[in-house]
Amino acid sequence: MGITRRQFLRWTGVSALGAVVFNGCRIPEEELQIESPVNLPEDLVTGIDNWYATSCRQEPGCGVIIRVVEGRAKKVEGNPDFPVNRGKHSARSEAGLQTLYHPDRLQTPMFRADRNDDFLPISWDRAREILNAGMNSLSDRSRFLLVTEPLRGHLALLTSEFVQALGGRHMAFQSLEQINLHRAVKEVFGQDRLPDFDIENANYLFSFGADFLSTWLSPVRYAGGYGEFRQGDRKRGTHYQMDSRFSMTAANADKWVPVKPGGEGVLAMSMAYVIIRDGMGNADAAAALTDGQGPQALNAFAPDSAMVRDATGLDSGKIEDLAHSFADEGHQPSLAIGGGTAGAHRSGLFNLKAIYALNLLVDNIGKKGGVRFNPAPPLPELSREDVASVGMPASYREWQELAGSGSVDVLMVRGANPVYGLPPGADFARVVNEANFVIAFSSFMDETAGMANLVLPEYTYLEEWGDNVPSPGPSYQTLGIQQPVVRPFHEGTSSFGDELLTLGRELDLRLESRLEVTPDATMKDLIKAGVEKLWPENRGSVTAASFEGFWNGVLQRGGWWDTQATGDSGVAEIKPLDTAWDGSGLGDPGSGMFSLVPFLSNSIGDGQLAHLPWLQASPDPITTVVWHTWVEINSKVAEDMGIAEGDILEVSSGAGTLEAPAFPHPGVPPTTVSIPIGQGHTGMGRYAEGIGDYNYNTLSLLESTTDKDTGALAWAATKVRVKKADHGHSIDIPKFAGNQFAEEPHKGTIIKVTGPS
Amino acid sequence: MVQNRIDHKWGMVIDIDRCTGCNACVVACQAENNIPLNTEDRFRQRRAIQWIHIERYWEGEFPDVKARFIPILCQHCENAPCEPVCPVYATYHNNQGLNVQVYNRCVGTRYCANNCPYQVRFFNFWEPVWPESLRNQLNPDVSIRSRGIMEKCSFNVQRLRRAERIVEGQQGGRISDEDLSMGNFLPACVQSCSTSALVFGDFNDPNSKVSRMKEEHLHEGGRGYKLLDFLGTEPNVIYLSKVDPYATDAGDGHA
Repeated sequence: MGITRRQFLRWTGVSALGAVVFNGCRIPEEELQIESPVNLPEDLVTGIDNWYATSCRQEPGCGVIIRVVEGRAKKVEGNPDFPVNRGKHSARSEAGLQTLYHPDRLQTPMFRADRNDDFLPISWDRAREILNAGMNSLSDRSRFLLVTEPLRGHLALLTSEFVQALGGRHMAFQSLEQINLHRAVKEVFGQDRLPDFDIENANYLFSFGADFLSTWLSPVRYAGGYGEFRQGDRKRGTHYQMDSRFSMTAANADKWVPVKPGGEGVLAMSMAYVIIRDGMGNADAAAALTDGQGPQALNAFAPDSAMVRDATGLDSGKIEDLAHSFADEGHQPSLAIGGGTAGAHRSGLFNLKAIYALNLLVDNIGKKGGVRFNPAPPLPELSREDVASVGMPASYREWQELAGSGSVDVLMVRGANPVYGLPPGADFARVVNEANFVIAFSSFMDETAGMANLVLPEYTYLEEWGDNVPSPGPSYQTLGIQQPVVRPFHEGTSSFGDELLTLGRELDLRLESRLEVTPDATMKDLIKAGVEKLWPENRGSVTAASFEGFWNGVLQRGGWWDTQATGDSGVAEIKPLDTAWDGSGLGDPGSGMFSLVPFLSNSIGDGQLAHLPWLQASPDPITTVVWHTWVEINSKVAEDMGIAEGDILEVSSGAGTLEAPAFPHPGVPPTTVSIPIGQGHTGMGRYAEGIGDYNYNTLSLLESTTDKDTGALAWAATKVRVKKADHGHSIDIPKFAGNQFAEEPHKGTIIKVTGPS
Repeated sequence: MVQNRIDHKWGMVIDIDRCTGCNACVVACQAENNIPLNTEDRFRQRRAIQWIHIERYWEGEFPDVKARFIPILCQHCENAPCEPVCPVYATYHNNQGLNVQVYNRCVGTRYCANNCPYQVRFFNFWEPVWPESLRNQLNPDVSIRSRGIMEKCSFNVQRLRRAERIVEGQQGGRISDEDLSMGNFLPACVQSCSTSALVFGDFNDPNSKVSRMKEEHLHEGGRGYKLLDFLGTEPNVIYLSKVDPYATDAGDGHA
């Protein structure tokens, strides 16, 4: 006799709590019966474990289930029901437990009037008094700035209302912002939201610079599709990766096509030229993209032109092959995606627009194996323009302007670390220093919190209420719910949302009436009120006769989604391709110089997760390096320069200089060097701060080049000079390779390869 | 406890054409099995503990370069070279197909690790330490191994025992693939694998996915193979080869 998930959860203790019985609500057999332990002391029954569904903030968009034993969280797994990640999760999600139980978590509010003094611990009552006084010290409320990570869902709604009611400003911070991607999606597809890519059902997948299996947008979702793309119940898909770096994704591709940094868009335009010239693909789209002029509109991008060869580094035969392969009728559905370094140049927006337009030529919009648009979030207030803007990161140009403006008197920062994450050209430390009063909501003493007056320790996401509107979504309406799975581990912590509501009351902002909740509402009440509006619609994954039943069902499944509520099925109006290519600043870096291709770490991301030991100890897929930064350089180039692994290199750009050990390997294009982002912290606790011998912040090398249209940071556009450091030091880079050495005696027998048949 | 235990032959099929090398399995294993924190020094001393790990092999030179990934874990051999060399019977083969390590018996000779051709046994050279607060995460179902003890992949025997207790003990019947996934009894690495490269199940159950995959792939000309098969260890882990339509130098991987 088989067991069902329903039974599984009964055994694992929910029925012992007597918490949840379903009557009259239509719940599928594979239902998760999950309810928060808050107010349920029976949860502490010895030897019984409970699984609770919630949302993950370390792998945005994913739904997880957490195993809780005796009031302690023990294990994170993917929520099998959640549409984005379908039961899978990443190492980043797993390490949520180390965020929760981190030994260096902030446990009590701290204050100092003078930012040269040391912090003194204070009570929450005192902290709230100081916070109110600080806010009331504003003579002009427009000189208040709130900086958060890009927010979505009800916290975005609350933040937006708070800032508007106060009359202050909000800026969302993301270190390598996705502005160009959002703009490209808007201009090419006419969509306000990032689309879903159906990798699972694509036949030919062309990825331009997007490290989609590792760090780009929604890697767990894409990897799930990729497994089926490779060996699912279908013909094996073919994946080409056009990338200036040999990333983990490039290593998995059938063909890696090394493109010169910044030339990805020219390659895509050239492919479009060939496709249109040869009459392949969709004729209507071809006409619209060329404004009725046909291929001559794109003559400048003919693959045999010197400009194309210089910009991409590829010969015309190669480009013709790629174009034919992409548009070949027998290869459909084919899919083009682009991001990462491809969008991080002066012409980043141009590049991404050219790449995404390829999808129009093969007419894959809204189709199996193609691009699927996402609908607006289920609640209308969550897709309001002001709420959506809270989720859109500010451009680097805006941060630069902020740094010189002296326009901030009171600064509040939450969930963002711009002091670490902004390159020197947008000196956020200056904004902090010029402000009169600086408040930081944070779970850790990171670089930004370390410069504040008032530090307010936050709950982690496993302890607080929230919600999760995945971006990109799974092509249909989805609202993930984040519920506390354990009681707050430290008494002296609080929820940012609740504190914002409290502060609103103190300042008489009447947020409750704007949000249509009761005057003593908490974040939970706000979310519950939102979910209550969904209940009468009687559609989607959970329906119930009563609201309580509906609410329980939503909590148990980790959210609500409606597979029928999909986005637009096509592009309303195809605009002509932008042909205004500006290649200035590209080209060969010159003797002794290299193009710097920075990248996000597979484990610690942009450095936000550098404080978690599981992730620090997780080997980089390509180099197997752990706990450290490194400089990837081509093996042959390194040999010519007399550089061996571990030799300390001095890498300098117009913005700064750093020293880091060399890691030569055969996958680095000879004119580039690559350095991961995320190390070199001067805060965030024992596992991030001061580790390694030559660990510096890679962002300090980035010059202030921005996209000419959007002002986004062109973070892959910096050129660097590389030489062995004068002191001649060399270190043993900590890495996994060499811990096991099965390879040497058994060369050639470990990985078997099935070649062309 | 369970009366008249049903004999299983737990095993795994690993499709390296699906594996992307993301390391999610590695961290999932560390979370489930109370593996000591691998500090920077541990890696430098080549003594990091990863019951499952990803090996990366290079092929070719720029621009025709390839990196291939393979997850390696205890192969739970039928003829395990680690077993006969243990003077105290700390490692033995149980009737569920598992190569089991009895921590309480281990006296730390390290003979087993030296005799394992797959290098998947790990010795605790130090007492494992966690900061007090991080100990809250430790899995109560898995004992912490002290200094001087050998440890290795157990196929999450704690989850399998719970499955036996619940499915076979309370309900009667035989654990099916569905039971394993519905009850969260799959090994943590398998559960986490986002591309589903790792498949776990019972080779004694002809209906299990692993049995069907073995039938489909493990034959002359098929993609299935066993690691270092020529040693005659008879692993219970079957690999499916990487498919590479552009392979030029099939099978000659190097580190």
